[in-house]
Amino acid sequence: MIRMLGEIIQQIVFGIGVCLVTIGAVFDLLAALGLVRFPCFYVRMHAATIGVIGGAVVPLIGVSLISLVSDQLGPYRFMFAGISFFTALLIMITAPVGTHILANAAHKLDLSPKEPIIVDKMGEDKR
Amino acid sequence: MRRYIVLFIFYFIIYLLLSGGTYFTDVFFAAVVAAIASALTAKLLVRNEEKLELRRLYYLLKYFFRYMLVDEIRAHIDVARRVLTGEIRPGIVAVPYYVGSDYAKTLIANSITNTPGTVVVGIDDREKLMYVHWIDVKALDPSTCRMYISRVFEEYAMKIFE
Repeated sequence: MIRMLGEIIQQIVFGIGVCLVTIGAVFDLLAALGLVRFPCFYVRMHAATIGVIGGAVVPLIGVSLISLVSDQLGPYRFMFAGISFFTALLIMITAPVGTHILANAAHKLDLSPKEPIIVDKMGEDKR
Repeated sequence: MRRYIVLFIFYFIIYLLLSGGTYFTDVFFAAVVAAIASALTAKLLVRNEEKLELRRLYYLLKYFFRYMLVDEIRAHIDVARRVLTGEIRPGIVAVPYYVGSDYAKTLIANSITNTPGTVVVGIDDREKLMYVHWIDVKALDPSTCRMYISRVFEEYAMKIFE
């Protein structure tokens, strides 16, 4: 009875993990589409953000859930789960720093055309 | 003293997570490495150790789940729709912030940038303004922008780090 319950829980966790990986694949596709379709550098950055959170962090959490219930991995499954989860957290902390620096440098040096743009408070305040 | 213990536990957990340790040698080396690392970095990372409380950890975890389950999903669906339909009104707006510590500022800026649709372009420490590139400009004056973009993040940052 307890064994059956354990197997059901294993199946549910496995299903959640596969769902998260599938969601990640969908968001990666949308991010790639956005990178092509959006008009300028700053707007493309938003599409890249989809690729970071929806396309990297979410599937990594899914991988960690899947490896947690994969019996064939033996004792190494905790290692896989721990590394995937910790990598997801690290990406969440460090990726926005890169985005921030890129945007700041592009705006300061005026490297890319900003149009289309409705309002640019930062450029107005600098003058 | 408290900061050394807290950081020791933190590094210990990270080492065990990364090595997947279930043997005695793993636990032993985790303890050694964590002791050395916490002795070296505690004074740099934690200035005021009165602030290390369980209540703040609880708010941090609550914020993590709220952020991933509510804000991220809403923003992802919104920007995904814009990718497919192509309707955008981009602009750089100014958003004021009222927190003082560096950790809180970093948390707010990271949260804003990690949400698709808003990217922090610059930060002005003297005027206490963040310049945010917004994919769909709904308002121009700073306080209304703050309502839309960063009010929730700032409430939690106050509770966690202030």
